[in-house]
Amino acid sequence: MNDTKRVLLLVGSQKGTRSTSESLGTHLLDRLREKGLSTEYLRINPSLRTEKGREALRLAVEQADVLVLASPLYVDSLPWSVTRFMELIAEERKAQAQPRAQQLIAIINCGFPEARHNDTALAICRRFAVESNIAWMGGLSLGGGEAINGKPLEKAGSMARNVRRSLDLTADAVAEGKPVPQAAVDLMAKLLMPIWMYVGVGGLGWWLQARKYGASKKLRDRPYRRTDQAGSA
Amino acid sequence: MNAVILNGSAKGDAAVSAVYDFLLEELPGFGWEVESFVLHDITITPCAGDFGCWVRTPGICLVDDAARTITMKAVQSDLLVLLTRITFGGYSSELKKALDRMISMISPFFTKVNGEVHHEPRYEAYPTLVALGVLPEPDEESEQIFRTLVERNAVNLYNPAHRTEVLFASEGPEKLRERVRAIFSEVEVCA
Repeated sequence: MNDTKRVLLLVGSQKGTRSTSESLGTHLLDRLREKGLSTEYLRINPSLRTEKGREALRLAVEQADVLVLASPLYVDSLPWSVTRFMELIAEERKAQAQPRAQQLIAIINCGFPEARHNDTALAICRRFAVESNIAWMGGLSLGGGEAINGKPLEKAGSMARNVRRSLDLTADAVAEGKPVPQAAVDLMAKLLMPIWMYVGVGGLGWWLQARKYGASKKLRDRPYRRTDQAGSA
Repeated sequence: MNAVILNGSAKGDAAVSAVYDFLLEELPGFGWEVESFVLHDITITPCAGDFGCWVRTPGICLVDDAARTITMKAVQSDLLVLLTRITFGGYSSELKKALDRMISMISPFFTKVNGEVHHEPRYEAYPTLVALGVLPEPDEESEQIFRTLVERNAVNLYNPAHRTEVLFASEGPEKLRERVRAIFSEVEVCA
């Protein structure tokens, strides 16, 4: 039965370049393809820009049995594009007398080292599934996504071994039509590195990036500071 | 005291628009000088996720559109009011498009808040936050997600105080107006 199951990966990153969301989603998709499932991959943000893109997105969603949303965390929830996508799909499915039976899995990653920052975004995904009459199969939550920085997981070294294992377990579950197992949830939520190291490397990373643009001394600028605020600039 | 309202209603959303009208009518009576943005009437480019506002032009988004003005007004306000239809427990896409562009309000560097890693503040002071979410009728799960989301935002955006209110379209216009009045009669700005 698995060979007829159609899986659609929806990447919610707003970046034009390769993203950590894409790394996570495509790893899962590769495993599912190896198991004989039919897979497709779309990026939500560029798809929403044109009528043609929105129609292609709508059709791809309509034809899928399993939706896999891989998205970054933006301001404690999902980015604009994913929110808009959810509004459109929910509206469409509510208008249908008998919407196709579908399942949803979400993989959320954030730039904070702790995975729990993603809890609210996952709750929103689950709520979207409920309101859209889609079966919620569970979510995975990754902290410290900046450390992967869009690299293919196979090239992310031992740091990403728990991430790979989590997605492999999830692929097994998807192929069998089962919910995301707790073991996969727990593995994905493990710290990629000690928090002190992530914070230190992260700070240095921002400074190095700023130096490239001649902005390393401006990182703490306050361009919109109120004139009545006390203290130094 | 100045207040900035971000109206995240979709076009034609009568219930959220009615609450917006009540805000415009009631806030000046409590001493607020109001500046408001009806987001569905404003062109805002979605955040590109490039962190340019952190590492290239710190504090200012690379894209020069209305979101820059909105961010500046929000930073300089005493009170920031977010108005939205509660959408799967979260904000509407109209409001989210503006909020995603406001991460320049904080610094890329990390610090710990209540034992958890967050970004450092960029500014010395931030506005009090009031989030008004509208639902057609009571829905416990959506309300809980919304309250948690606003609370998380208030931690990450260093709002000195925050208040979350869920309003129901089923309450009818008169009750909604009363609730708006009651909410803002109790809102105080933190010095």
